[in-house]
Amino acid sequence: MKTKLLFLIICLAPFAIKAQSSSDTCSAADSATHITSGGTYSITSFNGTAPVAGCSSGSTADNGEWFAYTPVNDYQVVISSDISGNNGKDTKLQVYDGSCASLNCLANSDDDGEDVYSRLSVVQFNVEANKTYYIAWDNRWDSSAFDFILTETVQQPISFTEDPRNGGGTVRGAVDMNNDGLDDIVSIVAKNVNDSNVYDINIQEQTGGGSFIGHDYPVSAPYSASWSLAAGDYNGDGYTDLVWGNGSGVNIVKAINSGTDYAIAETQSGIFTQRTNFVDINEDGRLDVFICHDIAPNIYYMNETSGLEYYQGADPNGVPEGLGIYPSGGNYGSVWVDYDNDGDIDMFMAKCGGGEARRTNQLFRNNGNGSYTEVAGAANLADPIQTWSGAWGDYDNDGDMDVFIGGYNGTSHKMMRNDGNGTFTDITPTTNLGFFTYTGIDNVPADFNNDGFIDILSNGNILVNDGNPINMSFTAYTSGVPPQGAIGDLDNDGFLDVVSGSKIYYNNGSTNKYIKIKLNGNGLNKAGIGARIEITTSSGIQIRDVRSGEGFRYMNSLTTHFGLGVDTSVTSVKVYWPSGIVDVVNNLSVNQTITVAEGTTLGTESKTFAQDLTLFPNPAKSTLYVKTKYNLSDAIYTVFDISGKRVLNSKFGRNNTVNVSSLSTGTYFLRVMQDGLSHTQKFIKE
Amino acid sequence: MTKNYSCLLGLLLFVFSCTSCSEDDNYVQVKPTPTSPVSLNLESIPYPTLSEYNFFEGEMSDLKPVYGVLPYKITSGLFIDYAKAQTFVWMPKGSKANYVNDHSVLDFPDGAVLITNHYFENVLPKKNRKMIETRLIIKKEGEWVLVNYKWNDDQSEAVYTTEGSFVNVKIEDNNETKAVNYKIPSYNECFTCHNKYDEILPIGPKPQNINEDFSFKDGIKNQLKKWAEFGYLNTSNIPSEIVSVVDWSDISQPLDLRVRSYLDINCAHCHSDKGYCEYAPMRFSFKDTDDFKNIGVGVEHNFELEEGLSHIVAPGKSEESALLFRLKSTLDEYKMPIMGRNLQHKEGVKLIEQWINSLENKIE
Repeated sequence: MKTKLLFLIICLAPFAIKAQSSSDTCSAADSATHITSGGTYSITSFNGTAPVAGCSSGSTADNGEWFAYTPVNDYQVVISSDISGNNGKDTKLQVYDGSCASLNCLANSDDDGEDVYSRLSVVQFNVEANKTYYIAWDNRWDSSAFDFILTETVQQPISFTEDPRNGGGTVRGAVDMNNDGLDDIVSIVAKNVNDSNVYDINIQEQTGGGSFIGHDYPVSAPYSASWSLAAGDYNGDGYTDLVWGNGSGVNIVKAINSGTDYAIAETQSGIFTQRTNFVDINEDGRLDVFICHDIAPNIYYMNETSGLEYYQGADPNGVPEGLGIYPSGGNYGSVWVDYDNDGDIDMFMAKCGGGEARRTNQLFRNNGNGSYTEVAGAANLADPIQTWSGAWGDYDNDGDMDVFIGGYNGTSHKMMRNDGNGTFTDITPTTNLGFFTYTGIDNVPADFNNDGFIDILSNGNILVNDGNPINMSFTAYTSGVPPQGAIGDLDNDGFLDVVSGSKIYYNNGSTNKYIKIKLNGNGLNKAGIGARIEITTSSGIQIRDVRSGEGFRYMNSLTTHFGLGVDTSVTSVKVYWPSGIVDVVNNLSVNQTITVAEGTTLGTESKTFAQDLTLFPNPAKSTLYVKTKYNLSDAIYTVFDISGKRVLNSKFGRNNTVNVSSLSTGTYFLRVMQDGLSHTQKFIKE
Repeated sequence: MTKNYSCLLGLLLFVFSCTSCSEDDNYVQVKPTPTSPVSLNLESIPYPTLSEYNFFEGEMSDLKPVYGVLPYKITSGLFIDYAKAQTFVWMPKGSKANYVNDHSVLDFPDGAVLITNHYFENVLPKKNRKMIETRLIIKKEGEWVLVNYKWNDDQSEAVYTTEGSFVNVKIEDNNETKAVNYKIPSYNECFTCHNKYDEILPIGPKPQNINEDFSFKDGIKNQLKKWAEFGYLNTSNIPSEIVSVVDWSDISQPLDLRVRSYLDINCAHCHSDKGYCEYAPMRFSFKDTDDFKNIGVGVEHNFELEEGLSHIVAPGKSEESALLFRLKSTLDEYKMPIMGRNLQHKEGVKLIEQWINSLENKIE
């Protein structure tokens, strides 16, 4: 994989063949003249020793040829045989650092050609000045002579350092499990019992600075975490619970005994699990569980006082219209996101496979009363483009969530800008993403370079946001970045890292600033999943939703991360809790993690809004009229009952009315909110 | 592979000449036509139990078909975790199937039933046979209905089920003990492989898959010929030559035909137009795989798999081929076929590996 940019560099590079010739062994290369600059180098014949130090899979070649390379500066280096003259050849390359006595594999490439021939080799890696690197080509497939090119450029603005991951199993999460504020690593480990596999949890608990202590938790859950895992504390005991599943079923596993153990809460067979989420679907303050079903209507568990209640499809006791009820499914990736900024959480469903009706993406607008309406068509998001996931973020920092929608195999990705009125506009052609055609299954938003603009981890590539708030554009980095994985801050340095497969990819960071926000909710939803967080700095406003489960497969940190660029302070952090409560914390220093506890900053807002507001008739039977000289068309109203529970939530839209007919008789509070300013008034429903 | 079908035409001539004779000859003794004892009321399907259809006589688990229930064999068998399959067809009196083309399922009449029994042989410790499930596909009002029956422990009856479940057995196979966690598919899983854009279709009984000899009670005969003879197949538009698959396990057959036959029966129901996984670039139907590009030869793979895989099929490099990686894997997120297989099919893996390595190490 390479970028177009890289291709240009190779094309422009000088083509004079350099004098350094290859050596037969690593140590002979070390003694010979080292390569010290970019250029074209030749392999004239294969008669040396083949590299054996475990750098690539497959059987060993008969012969190899070696070079030593010592750069004079820090560079990003590309070594490529994918150049003209090599068409039809089949090269294989290993690059090491360390010493000849103890080689350490840095990069390898077999069939990575894209420009001339796919069987040629291309690697990209970062080098340090005056350190020696060993380049070994072998003749596993082909003994022809060939030239290769070594190109030195300035290092790309984002780079990672690989480290092994402990814990085994299938890694799925980078999330704080033990409530110490540090992201831990969650993997699901198979165990053979009576000739069948059952599944345990391994948690690598971060102790700070990239150190971990591993714990195995025997659970013997029946289903693997093949397709996804999500995390969230659904029972409010302060310890994170999990949901994961595979093609045969799903498990919900809860922390018990103060997080010292885990136990199965629910399992259900016959579910072809795809994306999973913890989310408060009916806004009763309790996290529910949502499970995408590949081959049937979607599954959800409502978190009742009696326990988790299982539902599939439309159900008057669950979600009346269901949340994706196509009979044969096609549900791949759900993201819960407040796309219309009305203070309640909506859901985007990535759909794939089958006829157009089955595979058209859906958008479920929360009606604020426990019901949802499918509005993808009206929103311009009803794409039948084989989507496994969409990455939702405010990429242009204009205060609403845009979406990068993944295509698959021949269908292009789409960047859809939120117009702020419930509809989206396709701006793909102007975002520089048109050429980015590497498709796949996982698309996730994250600010990797802490510049204050959200990037996208897309199928093991990072689409770095160029940071132009007017004309959004991106630069794709396809080499030297982690594969798809779980995103969290695994060394607690304020830069987002990735854990995937058997490795942790630590973000090397920069001087850019950050702030991280951990929520502490009042009720059962401690982590504030579903909350909207808005920060203001001298550069402007940024927003995030607290989400459990986005992209397709992995679970990312529940601590909300904002890159701040060069900003040296944060003017305010505003938390719109799922309960309707709003907290505001002012004047914060950068490069720290703060905890916001729900309701602890109430009343800090001094400005008022719509002081003249009156409600009539009061008591009201079905329609409550709101009278004010202020324009309420963008305002959100929220109705709380006497216990403080949110019972209605919506934007006013055209009419300044609230339909209260669904409420039972009693006393309620109506809050009207716009631009963070609010006015609350009591009324009686008769 | 093209198989000559002229023997069938010969049969037709024979039937025709007999008919001619009988018209001229008053001596012909007319045997009473036996009636099939199968009970099928389309209004009442699915029946709660398998025995109610009366497909088999004697001990039901012996699968001895009653009159009208014809056994047939799929030339190249599906891998189902080392379970065995025995298939039968039944049609209402006076109705017959029609040929569409070599690679499409025959156009069956309403009331037709395809009966597939899955069982294990050499089940330890007694090395006996154990019936697991009987799958029916029934044509009703022009549409197919998927119905599944799970056999009980004492093998006396099979009961209708839409729920998936696992059955653990240990078998001796190929001189080794295999522990099988056999999955009986749920209705939704049946539907997943058996639909094209929500239209339910059988998979096996395509002319290309059944155009071979079978040992019937009354002798060895080409299956299509037998069906025609029995009145189950209209032969008026069947070509003399049918492009047919080979038995993938028959080492006397060319390697590429064995591979193409293996991929057709195991993979093509999803990896074809309107199939469950049509969005992936592969097209594994036998009719499409004479172009190796449809198998993925030289096509870069496009999925989050393990490192070191370059193409769907990297010619000459099986270890870099996503196709082989997926056939080898037993992990849910990687394995193919995605349903119906929990164990690695060693013999199938060997076949594909051998074929990939035999391809010239060159990408067009």
